[in-house]
Amino acid sequence: MFYVRMFFQYVAQYMKTRLEYRADLVVELFSDLLFQAVNLIFILVVFDHTEFLNGWSRDEIIFIYGFFLVPFALFSSFFNIWDFNERYIVKGEMDRILTRPIHSLFQVILERMELESLFGAVTGLAVMFYAGSRLNLEFNWYDPLLFVVLVLGGVLVYAGIFVMIACISFWADARTSIMPMMYNIGNYGRYPVDIYNKAIRFVLTWILPFAFVGVYPAAYFLGREEWYGYSYMTPVIGIVFFTLSVFIWNEGVKRYRGAGN
Amino acid sequence: MDKYLEMIRIRFLMMLAYRTNYYTGILIYSINIGAYYFLWNAIYGGKSEIEGLSALQMTTYVAVAWMARAFYFNNIDREMAMEIKEGKVAVELIRPYNYLGMKTMQGLGEGIFRLFFFSVPGMLIVALIFPLEFSADFTTWVLFAVSIVLSFFINTQLNLLTGITTFFLYNNTGLIRAKRVLIDLFSGLLLPISFFPGWSQEIMKYLPFQGISYIPSMIFTNGFTGSQAMEGLLLQAAWVLILIIPVQVLWVIAKKQLIIQGG
Amino acid sequence: MNAIEVNGLRKEFKAYSSRSGLSGAFRDLFTRNYKIVPAVNDISFNVKQGEMVGYIGENGAGKSTTIKMLTGILTPTTGGIIVNGMNPHKERERFVQTIGVVFGQRSQLWWDIAVQESFRLLKKVYKVSDAHYNEHMDHVIKTLDIEPLLDKPVRKLSLGQRMRCELAAALIHNPPLLFLDEPTIGLDVLVKLKIREFLKEINEKYNTTILLTTHDLTDIEALCERVIMLDEGNIIYDGALKSLKEKWGEGKEISFEFLEKADLQHLEALTNDLEAKWELDEKDQIFTAVTGDDEEAVSQIIARTVAAYKVRDVKINEPSTEEIIRNIYEKGMA
Repeated sequence: MFYVRMFFQYVAQYMKTRLEYRADLVVELFSDLLFQAVNLIFILVVFDHTEFLNGWSRDEIIFIYGFFLVPFALFSSFFNIWDFNERYIVKGEMDRILTRPIHSLFQVILERMELESLFGAVTGLAVMFYAGSRLNLEFNWYDPLLFVVLVLGGVLVYAGIFVMIACISFWADARTSIMPMMYNIGNYGRYPVDIYNKAIRFVLTWILPFAFVGVYPAAYFLGREEWYGYSYMTPVIGIVFFTLSVFIWNEGVKRYRGAGN
Repeated sequence: MDKYLEMIRIRFLMMLAYRTNYYTGILIYSINIGAYYFLWNAIYGGKSEIEGLSALQMTTYVAVAWMARAFYFNNIDREMAMEIKEGKVAVELIRPYNYLGMKTMQGLGEGIFRLFFFSVPGMLIVALIFPLEFSADFTTWVLFAVSIVLSFFINTQLNLLTGITTFFLYNNTGLIRAKRVLIDLFSGLLLPISFFPGWSQEIMKYLPFQGISYIPSMIFTNGFTGSQAMEGLLLQAAWVLILIIPVQVLWVIAKKQLIIQGG
Repeated sequence: MNAIEVNGLRKEFKAYSSRSGLSGAFRDLFTRNYKIVPAVNDISFNVKQGEMVGYIGENGAGKSTTIKMLTGILTPTTGGIIVNGMNPHKERERFVQTIGVVFGQRSQLWWDIAVQESFRLLKKVYKVSDAHYNEHMDHVIKTLDIEPLLDKPVRKLSLGQRMRCELAAALIHNPPLLFLDEPTIGLDVLVKLKIREFLKEINEKYNTTILLTTHDLTDIEALCERVIMLDEGNIIYDGALKSLKEKWGEGKEISFEFLEKADLQHLEALTNDLEAKWELDEKDQIFTAVTGDDEEAVSQIIARTVAAYKVRDVKINEPSTEEIIRNIYEKGMA
């Protein structure tokens, strides 16, 4: 309960700061939109030159992309920790975090949240509805519920992976820029994994399970029954990875060396 | 000149110090290129060529585009934004060198490091796993070398431009990100420019972006040869010269602003 | 009851040395030279509830590392720490509820929002009730005189203003133990005085234990009866500030200003049977006799000198704490 209350306290603070710099907000929303558009343009241009991608149609790929945007938006809003190493380890902000009576990871998340990224979920839903209506998809009454569960699973997968990468900073002796590169790899989960060879498919399913943020759960709504097993596994993978990442984080904090050493 | 060379050397050493970065970087770039390789194979889906590029050329295109990116890419716009916000830039300005020149040299130091210790070994590893097509023609290599140097300058000048805007916008993280996204798309890193619909290709002809990735990658894959390649290089060189103007103009205005506001 | 119990505490850092030059850097890419460096070397001490203790040492002596272990930020390599009856690192979240921390070099407050918003948020973070907050913080705010600053964003405050707010922020939950790491660094004298007075007051009022590191020894003199001195990770002195002075404050200095022209050799001749060394400050024409702690000698020097010359001014100085400490570090404890 305390953590829920703290969450809303921080959200309120965040709003106050944000409203002070309104111009930034507009530019950021715009650059988010641009980012989403570029990926869509990529898909559109590619399908100018081909009908199917390994048996998947243009609208199916667009639908997967739309689905991907929803968990990704939630992830970006609450796990904006790509500069964790620089901000908290190198500059020593972690010292301050560790003198407060709230779990350290939770504090970092609260301090770094970027709620404007939530707007990406709206774009994602719009893209899904566009592609879904062209595909004449049928929905059951419980599908919205399942959608929420699969989205949350996807968020946890993303969060788990990125928290683990942030944890590297507790062990490694120098800064790393793996984080931005990892965003690139995350993109490959948006394409049907059966286009890749076994090694990459294995990586995207079990090692860096980005496929659970895009193609696997989206396959359920596209009625691709051969993938249903993976679709249902999304929340499980999410919980496993996120739990593991919190565990690694707790171990990492013990090895924190402090700033200026 | 000595001090600029020294700057390159220092950056070189800094990059070497971050070895975790180095190992993971090679791994991740390889995965990246691998994923694109399969994506493009699926897109080709048995077609022998699209827009004049064979599937093999396309794979090579993707690989070389990413590896060249390691050379021209740098974060000096973010660094400048940070230095300006923290007020460090005033200190930089009283030092006896040209600030923009120094930033460019830092970027070059990083670039050269990544080229030799990242792109070249990375390319060898990728070539072992995936079929790539390397040109046997010596002139192609020379043209490519000239071309990526020019693309470094175009990209760096664009970075300087976005960096300088910090003076006027205070917080420009959004702008920096938007610029990066635009460059990835319009430079031809994700898609060769020739894949775009005709009308948009027409527009892109008048933008500097294709000089960053498309032209060098096409030269490398023998998509451009002879006069086409020379034209490409000329276009790049022209952009390098043209971009000097806005960079210098904005810089002069920015310095005035700095004096008025007192850093 | 002891607020802090430290037993055989040790913290090692793994440092790697870079080889020089480019070729060295390449070799570093594959193998590195590691070296284990103890920052804190098996130290033990206790602090009683309500004590104010100065923790001093040169840069790199291990002060910050110790404070960070005591506050639960760093995990010790070996050794035991019990602070407020808890192991700081193991029970971190429960433990930090009972301490306040001020890092002089680092802000605890949120940069962009008004001070009172930061206070409000911290109040929730530390689960302080409205009644407690009002009673306690009204007083703190008044004493530190920060009422007019409350609605300003932190980034607009001067260093002195900010430090006072930082101190108030660290006390929102009225902790029984307060860690201050360089709290007066860069502050002007008036702010320093205000902060010292405030610290004394809360120490008296709530019996708050205070552990203080600082470079400014006047802070320590004003606040602490006890000092712990650190050198290269070892405690080289732990005890009363007074006995440090007695033990290491060698001798007294007697300075004379004369109305007539005096002669150094003559003065030396006057006191040649006593333990006295004369020095002359040419610029101000001040003659100083340095002697031991023998009170008889002191009065003899004054008596003989006054008899020989007309005197405008006489001062008897003891060496300052700063000089004593500089002496200790220069000559070593032995």
